[in-house]
Parts: sequence; structure tokens; C-alpha cells
Amino acid sequence: MDFSFLDVYKESFIHGFLTTIEVSIVALILSLVLGVIIAVFRISRVKPLEWFGTAYVEFFRNTPLVIQIFFFYFGLPSIGIDLSKFMVASFGLAIYTSAFIAEAVRAGIQSVNKGQMEAARSSGLSYIQAMWHVILPQAFKIIVPPLGNQFINLVKNSSVLALIAGGDIMYAADEAAVDYDVIPIYIFVACLYLVLTIPLSLIVNFMERRWAKQGSR
Amino acid sequence: MLFIDKIFHMALEVMAIIQFSGVNKWYGSFQVLKDINLDIGSGEVVVILGPSGSGKSTLLRCINQLEVISDGDLTVNGFKVNHKKTNLNKLRQEIGMVFQHFNLYPHKTVLDNITLAPTRVRKLNKSEAEKTAMQYLTKVGIPDKAKSYPSQLSGGQQQRVAIARGLAMKPKIMLFDEPTSALDPEMIGEVLDVMRDLAKEGMTMVIVTHEMGFAREVADRIIFMDEGKILEMTKPSEFFENPKNERTKQFLSRILKH
Repeated sequence: MDFSFLDVYKESFIHGFLTTIEVSIVALILSLVLGVIIAVFRISRVKPLEWFGTAYVEFFRNTPLVIQIFFFYFGLPSIGIDLSKFMVASFGLAIYTSAFIAEAVRAGIQSVNKGQMEAARSSGLSYIQAMWHVILPQAFKIIVPPLGNQFINLVKNSSVLALIAGGDIMYAADEAAVDYDVIPIYIFVACLYLVLTIPLSLIVNFMERRWAKQGSR
Repeated sequence: MLFIDKIFHMALEVMAIIQFSGVNKWYGSFQVLKDINLDIGSGEVVVILGPSGSGKSTLLRCINQLEVISDGDLTVNGFKVNHKKTNLNKLRQEIGMVFQHFNLYPHKTVLDNITLAPTRVRKLNKSEAEKTAMQYLTKVGIPDKAKSYPSQLSGGQQQRVAIARGLAMKPKIMLFDEPTSALDPEMIGEVLDVMRDLAKEGMTMVIVTHEMGFAREVADRIIFMDEGKILEMTKPSEFFENPKNERTKQFLSRILKH
């Protein structure tokens, strides 16, 4: 198999690899924060918050990521908001992924025994304090596996960046594919993604086992 | 006798820390609490008895508004509990609660369970809060478990931690919702001992329980409920030896038979 494309496009691939990592990390953190906020909205007794949370989740998880990214990239400039490709990619991925994370977090929160919230609130903690110190830490232990899935999806989905010439791994591959045989290129690119996602899988497995051992109730 | 009773009630009115007047509560069309009138004095130990479904836990949970009353007035420690503007977190700081299923935080050590509210609500610094926590752990007899997780403790130990957790906020009132119902028989004693000491120290306590011997020994007053109503409210000796209400007699004869 001919991997000579690397002689020419080595720099592109290194740059693409780093861009994919950067976008993934920013989007991962952002999607987690957004996901938790939206999850808390979803279960809120304040109706407008609940409606907003529900609309958010249903809208962003039921429309294609590509459309969302295109909207941010081509649509927002027309109303005067001009974001860099990096921002479009990070925010777009974060918002899309957060809809799924919100659902996982919500399920996690709801699986924590009702008595936990009662104990926390009856000691004088506010709702937010009780969520933060008592409910969420327990919820997260439960939802590590689905959360891991979302993070792995996020890394792979960052390949949509190529569609807006975002300079990620996939974009480097598309560049190289113009002049060289595509099979080795895509095999190589798949391996680059595996280098990112397999460690992520291992970390998730590790955390799951560690927390299972610590054994709550 | 009548005169003494009158004085007693006047004193109660002045010192009452918990006052129910005309309290009703519905779940949909089902009425769980019916016209509850009850004054509990500061330092008083009140035990609520009654068959399951009689509304005794609901009554208890109204005191710190884990349950919201439908109408009537409820004043606790000077707070109008049913008033919209009442700061619930402030109200609850002064009321410790112990649950049937302990409800310890499983992801936190015993020490962290106890210090959470004092550090976050009372804003004590960590070392102060831990010092207080250790005092109460010693009081309930398990200072050596400070670094353990709840899952490593027996039921009786967990419930004693839960009591220490409540006390660490230095509350004015302690509520106990069937604190021994989920325990193995041989662990009930250790929890009741802690509660007995607490009563002796003058803590205001409202206790829902099925432990008749304990109720008789520790209570200043027994309240008997059935179908959402208070049917009897009297001294333990009076309640157990000379019950007035037919339903009370029936209840006692069933309980005391075995």
C-alpha cells in the first residue's frame, strides 16, 4: 500500500490532528456544562424552563449535525454574527452533543433516590447546592457509560468540520485524496481517529470499574 | 387538676415552637390531614402513633415543608411555614430530620456527610465543622467510623450517623420519621439509646415510631392519629393505661398482643 501522500501532506495531517483534538476538547467541556444545565431545566418545576429544556433537546437531537453546522457557518454571518471556523465547529458540536448529554444526565438525576434530595434540602441546602453536592455526583457515576458514548461520538462527529474547510483530520484527508489513492489515505485517517477514541473508551471503562468498586449503597 | 391543665396549656401557647392550627392537606381528592390543631412546646418530646396510612409521617413532614399544607396555619420556630415569602432554607437550618432509610450520601465519607450542611449553609470553615462533627460522632458512639463510607456501616451505625448529621447543624427541633423501622431488631436499641439521651438533654423532638416501649418511656405526650385525624393527645401513662377513644383501644390491643 502506498503511503507516499504523507511526504507531501504530513504538515496538513499534523495540523488536522491537533485541530480535531482542540475542537473535541472545547466541545466536550462545553457540551457537558450545557448538558447539565439543560437537564436541570428539563426536570425543573418552573414550567418555562422545562419547556425551554424540552424544546432544546428535541430540536438539536432531531436535526442533522451538518445542517446545524451549516446554519452556524453560513446563516449567522447574514445576521451579523461572524464566527471563526474553530468557534463554529466547537459550538456546533457542543450544542448538538449537549442535547444527548442532557438526556443522559436527566436519566441519571432521576435514578438517584428521592430521599437524597429530601435529606439535603431538609438540612437547609438550597436546590442548587443539593444538586451540585449530593445529586449530580451520584448521577454521574451512573451515567458514565452513556456519557462515554457521547464523547466518542463527539470526536468522530468533529469530522463534519471538513465540510466547512475547517482544517481537521478529515479535511487533510480530502486534500490528499485529490492527488493520491484514497484507500490508504482513509485507512490512515481511520487509525488517527482510533488513536483518539480508543483511549477515551479505556478511560470510560476504567472510571466505570473504579466507581463500581467504591460501591454506593 | 383543671387549673393545672389550664396553666400547662397557657405555658404551651407562649412557648410553643410548633403550632398547627386548622391544618388540612389533600392529595388530589384524598384528604391526608384533617383539621390538625397541635401545639408543641420547646423542649417537648412528642411521639406520634397510629396505623400506617394514618397521616403521621405526612404531619411530621409538613413541619419542615417536605410536604406542603393545603390550608390552615402552621408556625414553626416563628416562621409561617405556609407563607410564600418564608425562606425555607432558613427554616430548615433549625430543624434536623432523621429518615427511615437514613438517606446518608453514599458518595461521601461519614465525616463529609456530617460537615456538608454546616460548611455550606452555616458557612463554618472545614476544621471547625470537622471538630463539631467529631463531637457528635463521639456522642453517638462511633467516632472511629469518621473516614468510612455509609455502605461500610451497619444499619444502626448509619442511622446514628444520620442523627449526628442532623445535630451538627445545632437545630432547635429534631424530627424522626420511623427511625428504627428499617433496622434489624438487634440494632434498634443503639439508635433508641441515642434518642433517649437527646430527649434528656431537652431537645424538642417529634417522633413517628412503632416502638411502643420507647414511646411510653420517653414521650412527654403521645398523639394518636387515624385517617388523617388526631384522635387522642395525652400523657403516655394515660394513653397506654386508660385510652379514651375506641379506635385507640383497638389499635393498642392489636399492637400489645404480640
